[in-house]
Amino acid sequence: MTAGKKRLNYSYYPGCSLHASGREYDISTRALFKALNMGLKEVPDWFCCGATPAHNVDELLSLSLCAKNLNLAEEVEGDLAVACAACFSRLKTTQHRLKEDGNKLKQVETAIDGPAALGKPVKHILEILARDFGLAKLEQNIKKPLMGLKVASYYGCLLTRPPGVPDLDDCEDPSIMEDILRALGAEPIKWSHRMECCGANFTLSRPGVVLKLSNAILESARLAGADCIMVACPLCHGNLDIRQQGIKELYGNRDSSLFGNIFGSEMQQGGDGPATDRRDLPIFYITQLAALAMGATPEGLGFESVITDPKPLLRDKHLL
Amino acid sequence: MSRIGVFVCHCGENISRTVDVEQVAKAAGDIPGVAYSCDYKYMCSDPGQNLLKKAVSEQKLDGVVVAACSPRMHEKTFRKAAAAAGLNQYLCDMANIREHCSWVHEDKKLGTAKASDIVKLMVQRVKKGKALAPITVPVTKKALVIGGGIAGIQAALDIADAGHQVLLVERDPSIGGHMAQLSETFPTLDCSQCIMTPKMVDVANHPNITLYTFAEVEKVEGYIGNFSVTVRRKARSVDEEKCTGCGICMTKCPKKKIPNDFDQGHGLRTAIYVPFPQAVPNTPVIDRENCTMFQSGKCGVCAKVCGPGAVDFQQEDRVTVEAVGAVVVATGFKLYSIDRKPEGSAIQGYGEFGYGTIPDVIDGMTFERLASASGPTGGRILRPSDGREPKQVVFIQCVGSRAREKGISYCSKVCCMYTAKHTMLYHHKVHDGQAYVFYMDARTPGKGYDEFWRRAVEEEEAVYIRGMVSRLYQKGDKIVVMGSDTLVGVQVEIEADLVVMATAVQAQDGADLLAQKLGISYDKYNFYSEAHAKLKPVECATAGIYLAGACQGPKDIPDTVSQASAAAAKVMTLFSKDQLERDPVVAKVNEKYCVGCLACKKVCPYGAVEEKGIRDRQGNLVKVTAYVNPGVCGGCGTCQATCPSKSVELDGYTDEQIMAMIEAL
Repeated sequence: MTAGKKRLNYSYYPGCSLHASGREYDISTRALFKALNMGLKEVPDWFCCGATPAHNVDELLSLSLCAKNLNLAEEVEGDLAVACAACFSRLKTTQHRLKEDGNKLKQVETAIDGPAALGKPVKHILEILARDFGLAKLEQNIKKPLMGLKVASYYGCLLTRPPGVPDLDDCEDPSIMEDILRALGAEPIKWSHRMECCGANFTLSRPGVVLKLSNAILESARLAGADCIMVACPLCHGNLDIRQQGIKELYGNRDSSLFGNIFGSEMQQGGDGPATDRRDLPIFYITQLAALAMGATPEGLGFESVITDPKPLLRDKHLL
Repeated sequence: MSRIGVFVCHCGENISRTVDVEQVAKAAGDIPGVAYSCDYKYMCSDPGQNLLKKAVSEQKLDGVVVAACSPRMHEKTFRKAAAAAGLNQYLCDMANIREHCSWVHEDKKLGTAKASDIVKLMVQRVKKGKALAPITVPVTKKALVIGGGIAGIQAALDIADAGHQVLLVERDPSIGGHMAQLSETFPTLDCSQCIMTPKMVDVANHPNITLYTFAEVEKVEGYIGNFSVTVRRKARSVDEEKCTGCGICMTKCPKKKIPNDFDQGHGLRTAIYVPFPQAVPNTPVIDRENCTMFQSGKCGVCAKVCGPGAVDFQQEDRVTVEAVGAVVVATGFKLYSIDRKPEGSAIQGYGEFGYGTIPDVIDGMTFERLASASGPTGGRILRPSDGREPKQVVFIQCVGSRAREKGISYCSKVCCMYTAKHTMLYHHKVHDGQAYVFYMDARTPGKGYDEFWRRAVEEEEAVYIRGMVSRLYQKGDKIVVMGSDTLVGVQVEIEADLVVMATAVQAQDGADLLAQKLGISYDKYNFYSEAHAKLKPVECATAGIYLAGACQGPKDIPDTVSQASAAAAKVMTLFSKDQLERDPVVAKVNEKYCVGCLACKKVCPYGAVEEKGIRDRQGNLVKVTAYVNPGVCGGCGTCQATCPSKSVELDGYTDEQIMAMIEAL
């Protein structure tokens, strides 16, 4: 932050996951904002955005939940910072839908018993880092560059899609994560599965789906030579991190080509691709890596509360 | 007192649905100076026109207002009818109560009031109008054809065969365009070069055709029948008169490894080159950026070996100005290069397909070159990365086309058919290979087209998968194609050796700039606009300029050739007359009041204003005034609005007429 320029201040909507299973994302986000001298004030009395279940059951419910949260956010100064990809998607979708559909807006305003405030910019942490704070300044503020760390940046489904709604980056071929990683001194790798689905909340109802999809993501990251994967979504983190053990139990200790030709050799095991060990891949939140690079105390970033231990890798790269 | 007649048209229900036409006619009858008014279901029909004629002669009308559609639609019709009844045609005007009123309003009461107001205005205009005589202009019976692809070639040959002179201007060193690049053509699989090259030779040999290749149209001035075009003939560095086309310069040129655009960058050429062996003219051109002589001043091998001494390193661009009477625009298309999003463009890229980073992901035109006997592989299907024969080829249709979220919503029209053709060519050349096609819909309207596509599926064993591809990525030496089969409802992954994308057909680079030079309109995709989508499909709204081929919108060869011949027929119709009549809506300078400030000259978009010296009988200059050349004046009225002393006026739109219209409101 250059002297004399106004400090960046944000209102903050953490969402349910960040207060529970994704606690590391929350504490590392706060640590990062502190390290970058940016203000972050939690919206008082916020509640669930409705996530995937609400809009699957009732669109009006899902829009109303977000509209109410957006109204609450008006009470805190600054653009609304959101870390969770699903909360981000729901809040952006609500703004988008209600701005384009007057009838829907009327329904929602009846439901929440008052006018809906749609004007506050909703910003994902990635956007705040790359655009508001700026890549150049990010680079200047580095205390501990992530030298030699090969990172597969994983976008998942919601950050950039659908077209025209989140407006974060190119819908199918984004680069914002790689840009940030480069600014942090890390080495973003090129890989194939950065936009594929991890299985999301099927992790509870049909874990088999998640094992298959997450395996494909982990495997392609390993094949591309990644040391770790970086995510910006608590659910992606959960699936990729927690399910590694289950994947090994189901598919064995060696990577195998899962990508068969449905018209030829279907689901071939041990296919043409180079087989590798199904080694563990630590999964980081963007905020954990960024905060680490900005010199935040590693003990406060939640590295000990994840399943696939990232500390050996970080020690190996002299980052701990 | 004037005797104006007002005729209100129902236009079926187009007008009467939202305008009470009887009421409008009745109100018109009450306007002072209106001697007759009526309404009729279809004024443009024969009985409608007769009604008008009869009223003019019986009621002794001295002016007519037809309240109906846009004057662009039927002004000519009604003026002709009025003239037939003995009225000066320029005293017949139209009140547009359809496009400007009934089509855009819903409330009948308000619509009726507005229609009445429009009629009131036009009555005032006609009342203050003067009888005018049409202007006649001579026709230069020579046509300019811009673009030497199949469209331009066909148009040029047709016009030349009718006995008229043609100037054909082509930007590249050879004519032939995209069609010369194709291997075989749908739906008959005849070899493109075999049907194309004879026509190219005909152009070169035709006594009525002047061919300028490696040349560009720089400026177009004038108007129908009388255009003046400036053409820049770029320096070839080879004298076209002296060169015999022996080709020894090319065999001796030491720079041999320059990617050849004609082969989509996959073949190699020398620095002095013809794009392909059948080029017309068969005169090489030196690519100065890659020529050692031009870059370092040392070499000159081509000049040394050239027998007739045709190589001329000192040659400069030549600029010629030609007079022509008509212009056929046939500048063709380009294929969407799907890389990342182009800077400043509304069109998104396709980074997720890895085009440009995965060597074996190619576009349809590259596949044509691979399949062509004259191509870089001699007609063998070999993949660019390692030269191996691909055994699994995935074709993806609609890449860029019909993709609103990527910025292009139109269908490129030719891809369904050429992809079906590609699968056949592949099957004919690689018998143990398998072709897959991802498609949204198979669109095959055209003679013999659907049969052709069915043949690809049923006899040539192409597997068609209805669904789009989300991503391509390299895995070992394979390309993984991730897509969906929406008929079966499953995700599909295919490991392909080669991926061919049917990328969108787009307007040529610089199409907008050429349109601005010509003064023709274009759509948001830079395709040129025809005057009427159905009834004037080859004419531009600008008189004397015609369209042929894909510059107007994506088109296949049969459609392109049809349109080119149609454009040629329009040119011949124009050339069948020695004189053209045009509307006398031109500006006239009142020399008595003009002070010669020439502000009008600065603002005239047509360059019609000249300086004129007023001299007394002894020849002494009394004063300088402006003069408007009626042949060049476009009748826009900008001078009239600019003139500080109000001494220039547009016939038919005089200040008196316009003030009367305003006062009537």
